[in-house]
Amino acid sequence: MTRFFSFLPQSCLASAGAVLLALGGGWTTQTASGQEAAVSLDAAREQGRVKSRFLKDEPEVAKGAGVIPKANVAVFQKAVGPMLKKSCIACHGPEKAKGRLRLDQLNPDLLHGPDAERWREVFNALSKSEMPPEDEPDYALAAADRGTMVDWLSAELNAASVVRRSSQEHSSFRRLTNYEYNYALQDILGLPFPLADKLPPETTSPDGFNNSSDLLQMSAMQFDTYRELGLKALKRATVSGERPQAVTYIISMQEEMAKAVAKEADKKARDAEKAAKAAKAAAEKVAKAATGKVAKVPAKDAKTDEPKKNTQRSKNMPQLVQRKTGERMDFAEGEEQPRAEAAVGQTPAPSPVVLELPRGRELKLDLDRFLPDEGTMRVRIRAGRSSMKPDEYASLRLIFSAHTSNNANFSQVVSARDMPVTAPADKPEFIEFDIPLGDIQRNPFRQLTTTFPRRNEFLHLQNVSNAGGGEDALHVVIDHIEISAPFYEQWPPQTHTAIFFASKNKGDEQTYGREVLNRFLKRVWRRPVKAAEVDQFMSLYAKYRPGFATFEEAMVEVLATALSTPEFLYLTQRVADAKTKSPKQISALELASRLSVFLWSSIPDDELLKVAQQGKLREPEVLNAQVKRMLADPRARRFSQNFVEQWLGLDRMSSVTHVTDSTLKAAMVEEPRAFFEEVLGQNRSIMDFIHSDYAVVNERLANLYRIPKVFGPQFRKVPVTPQTNRGGLLTSAVIMTMNSDGKDSHPLKRGVWMMKRILDDPPPPPPPNVPQVDLTNPEILKMTVKERIADHRNNAACNSCHSKIDPWGIAFENYDALGAFRTQIKDKPVDATSELFNHQTLAGIDGLKRYLFADRQDQFAQAMVHKLMTYALGRPLSFADSADLDRMTAQLRREGDGLGDLIRIIVSSDLFNSP
Amino acid sequence: MNPKSHPLNRRTFLRGSGVALALPWLETFAASSRAKDATPKRFLSVYHPDGVGLPLKSDPAGRDWSWFPRGGEKDFELTKVLDVLEPLRSDITIYSGLSHPAARNVHGHSNADQYLTGAPVGGSGPYQNTISLDQVYAEHAGDFTRHSSLVMSTNGGVGGPRGAQTQSFNREGRPIPAMNKPKQIFDLLFVTSGKDAAARLARSKSALDLLIANTRSLGRQLSKHDQQTLSQYLDAVRDTELKLEKAQKWLTTPVPVVDTRNLHLDAEPKEARLYFQTMYELIYLAFLSDSTRVATFQLGRENGEGPHDLLSMAVGLGSAHGLTHAVKNPGGWKNLGTYNRYQAEEFGRFAQKLKDTPEPNGSGSMLDNTLAMHGSASSSFHLSRNYPIISAGGRNLGFTNGRYLKFGKGNEDNQAGAGIVSDAGWTGKMEVEELPLAKLFVTILQRLGVESDAFGGETGTLTRV
Repeated sequence: MTRFFSFLPQSCLASAGAVLLALGGGWTTQTASGQEAAVSLDAAREQGRVKSRFLKDEPEVAKGAGVIPKANVAVFQKAVGPMLKKSCIACHGPEKAKGRLRLDQLNPDLLHGPDAERWREVFNALSKSEMPPEDEPDYALAAADRGTMVDWLSAELNAASVVRRSSQEHSSFRRLTNYEYNYALQDILGLPFPLADKLPPETTSPDGFNNSSDLLQMSAMQFDTYRELGLKALKRATVSGERPQAVTYIISMQEEMAKAVAKEADKKARDAEKAAKAAKAAAEKVAKAATGKVAKVPAKDAKTDEPKKNTQRSKNMPQLVQRKTGERMDFAEGEEQPRAEAAVGQTPAPSPVVLELPRGRELKLDLDRFLPDEGTMRVRIRAGRSSMKPDEYASLRLIFSAHTSNNANFSQVVSARDMPVTAPADKPEFIEFDIPLGDIQRNPFRQLTTTFPRRNEFLHLQNVSNAGGGEDALHVVIDHIEISAPFYEQWPPQTHTAIFFASKNKGDEQTYGREVLNRFLKRVWRRPVKAAEVDQFMSLYAKYRPGFATFEEAMVEVLATALSTPEFLYLTQRVADAKTKSPKQISALELASRLSVFLWSSIPDDELLKVAQQGKLREPEVLNAQVKRMLADPRARRFSQNFVEQWLGLDRMSSVTHVTDSTLKAAMVEEPRAFFEEVLGQNRSIMDFIHSDYAVVNERLANLYRIPKVFGPQFRKVPVTPQTNRGGLLTSAVIMTMNSDGKDSHPLKRGVWMMKRILDDPPPPPPPNVPQVDLTNPEILKMTVKERIADHRNNAACNSCHSKIDPWGIAFENYDALGAFRTQIKDKPVDATSELFNHQTLAGIDGLKRYLFADRQDQFAQAMVHKLMTYALGRPLSFADSADLDRMTAQLRREGDGLGDLIRIIVSSDLFNSP
Repeated sequence: MNPKSHPLNRRTFLRGSGVALALPWLETFAASSRAKDATPKRFLSVYHPDGVGLPLKSDPAGRDWSWFPRGGEKDFELTKVLDVLEPLRSDITIYSGLSHPAARNVHGHSNADQYLTGAPVGGSGPYQNTISLDQVYAEHAGDFTRHSSLVMSTNGGVGGPRGAQTQSFNREGRPIPAMNKPKQIFDLLFVTSGKDAAARLARSKSALDLLIANTRSLGRQLSKHDQQTLSQYLDAVRDTELKLEKAQKWLTTPVPVVDTRNLHLDAEPKEARLYFQTMYELIYLAFLSDSTRVATFQLGRENGEGPHDLLSMAVGLGSAHGLTHAVKNPGGWKNLGTYNRYQAEEFGRFAQKLKDTPEPNGSGSMLDNTLAMHGSASSSFHLSRNYPIISAGGRNLGFTNGRYLKFGKGNEDNQAGAGIVSDAGWTGKMEVEELPLAKLFVTILQRLGVESDAFGGETGTLTRV
């Protein structure tokens, strides 16, 4: 038996030190053993790994699961009990009961007694050497004794976990979350846009997850909304009758130039007329003034005669440019009119006139009031770049707005993402946007017959770019714009023919109806459908049919009912009959659903279902191939998105108000997801989340991090040096920002975040009636944040919890409320040194990372397994699951901590295959 | 599984299920508490845009034409603007020093959107609102009546973002279209609805039957534990069935027959008094017949033009919005005051009518069981502070009237003028502290019987009310 709490052998430390000296690493720290050693983060990571209890020859994880073990109370009575009495009972016994823990009252039978959960806490405190406290020499625990206790606890805990497995309390049977429901609808119907989110918001579990089976409630309101959304989605996917006439605008820059020229000529004429009138009036005044005083003719009027030079136009505004002559005109405002018989999707000859759109500028198109209420608006823009400097990028964003009356206005970004403009100006290429007109904010007055409030709607094309200035500044050059709605690639659209497919039975409503239902139900229920089940829906169809003009309209109502069935809305795990206990395994088809909900946040596709139906999904090679295929699919982005958001609690960013730059805010939220994808895609070690020698950033974030030479909005992996003070997820701007108070860092929030999200060791909630820090006290106001916290900690009521939380947060003091690195706070140098509860010193963020690497790798690996498994199963994990989790952690550590490997370990685990 | 057999009250249920109070309507409980709500509790909010006239103390018009009364809580003296309410003195309360914190820096032209919601809708860019006070109450009381609420405005529809033409917003923060044609409102309330509704209802019932059968067959294939989870779904379907039954019941229940003598269903805003009185009469009839217990009514839209202006022009004044900007013209304060006086007069006429009608199914008058609010979300010059608010009635709900309640700090000397003492003060930095209006909303909700201690992000009630 090994003792995983023991310290590194001397030889190991010495050799690591030597390696480090050779590398010229620069930090010094106190190791747990009190020895001075210079350790780089890489070296700490290597050394820490060696210490893992999961890498020992005989890991203490339960062997021979399935055999019902027995409690080993004998060892407790002989050895462990007396040791507790000697070193622990004084504080955790009848006299003091610190932390409300009475060790004398805990039942030593962990397998059948009620106290296994508390014993696990005891195990954690002992194995991390947090207890007994070092400053209590009277109660010191000899290393050998500690080993005996920890070994016994470890064995008993594992045995207890196996025993409790059979009396499971939590189930993965649950309804889809709102986002899963939305994705599933989209995937079934082939709709490109999410439906407006009308479902009541979800409750977040204490773990931070939104997909927890015990919190996913169903209410009449929720059910009603499903019925409404299902019908709405089906109506959007299907069509009836002839192809509707599209409203099409074609904006030809040559015509715009002609308009602008005419407008200017008109203005000149009016100005000239005005000037003539003024001159005449002035002359009359002069004539009247018999006294001989000369009335001054305003200089302004004299000037209007001079023609404006083209060079006087602001080069920073969108301008029309005649390619040949170089003549420039401002884009004239004015309503665009739809064209009758305009053909869409054409590639016209290059225009002799182009529009130059400088960085940050918008071309605002007045579309009057003709866009339809529903349907897709296709916007095609032929655009290029005026310069091809590799460090600069330009992209297009669409904004939709209306200004109905004074102060009653709105505007909204409607493009899902900025589309990069990459072609050179002389070889422009089309960029396409599809906008769902029924889902965006529209001008409610567009159908008025009166002109007020104003009815017009505007589409803005914005150039989002990092271009520098100067003569040859990068502009977006546009020569042709087409706007068309409702737009259909084909008629009837594919979403329609996927439901109402071609069939020789199309003329026979009964037969064809069954065919349609059979295919639809199979997709919705993720399983083969019985004839009797189709019958039920056909009899509903029979009731509906007389109320509708066409087969399709009646059938859409029937299909909508299928979208409200529990088998669509819930993730099932069937049993043979209700009286039996759950089977050992869920079915292959249920496994397919669990897999797709895990990796796609949606239902399986045909291929996955086929493999499951053939009974091959559990063959390791097939399963691995499917996981690989699924992770390579664009839908896998939903996994990184939703898991990372819930794991790290990123929704807290939505209530952050001190990040005013929306581009920065979006980049902040995106970074952890992009980082996770990098680690997952390359099967990198999960330890990279703690620290890595790279960052995954875009230009905006790189600016904040002071990483040079990162251009463009897309995220990419870049190397970082120690001087950058980045790497890993802990110091990413979003974590620092959401765990601040809006003005400054907030060590307490950061500490709680570390414990909850990274260490999976959440602190207890604060007790009621704790004294708050009195910010009206001038003495306290003078203190730094760290001093204030220390002052608060000195309060006995606060100390027991805060001494565990604060040190983690103080180590982040070098990062301000936006996550930028700093060395000074209000003229004082930053003090980011803290001491953990177990007297481990953390010297700033490097110290913290080094400590995690040296001593907490196993804990982080366990946390990661725990978090991913909770998400994958959609239920809270309990004590009964811990033996399985330990086994998986051991496998992960042995295989080298790769995140991709972890996904594979999870999906092939017994837990993932169990109800 | 029978929802009626749950021996729970709403509060223990919420605690037990571990969900926050944000849960939507729980029909199960609403249905079972129907019996004890024999006497209706009603709520009305009337909104007028553009604020009121608040001449400075030093202005010659200050004494007569400032909207807020002179004097203290009980011995207040109504100015010429509100003196038409003197006969109702013991039935009204006037509030000052209240506003929505989220809107204080937003231009008053956008204020109709957030008067009943308190949401931070901002001044430009993307737009998101939250549920309005009346709809929170409608979720509670809507089950007792044919219509959960009656939403009206002179301009109708929803208006535009930051230019609302409705006071009511649903749980998702989406505007509920207001009705503005007396005929249309009358038909909705007192004329039987068409065949289409019956067909839709029949379809829904067949669908629910199928879903229940389908759920049962799935249930047989689940473990005991999972069956418990699925029973929630079954409950939801059953609750929906009950709702359909209610709809069915209303479909077959004859619509109430009302006295139409005072109705001029073709009245238009240009005949302002007639139109006003007809709209108020419709609310009165809807309340009297217990067709609904919740109503909102918005007079015009912020920033003028349209029917709103017709209302003021009809009484011989200029455009309503113009009046608020022309106060420094000769007689300006008086003109604006006269217009506000006329709004108060019509509101008073309505309140008086409720007072004169004994409660059909309870004690006291209809006014005693109704809380009717009248207000705007700006004071002078569209400053989004010191909202001018009157409430009438509600004696049986726990409101003590006949009072002028002043709130806030730093405005003690000049409560009526939002603490402002000079012309520059209207555009300067505001030092006065006001209380969140949402606290009054919480008080109102609680007195209407809604268990709630927060609204629009504000927790707690308004003391002294």
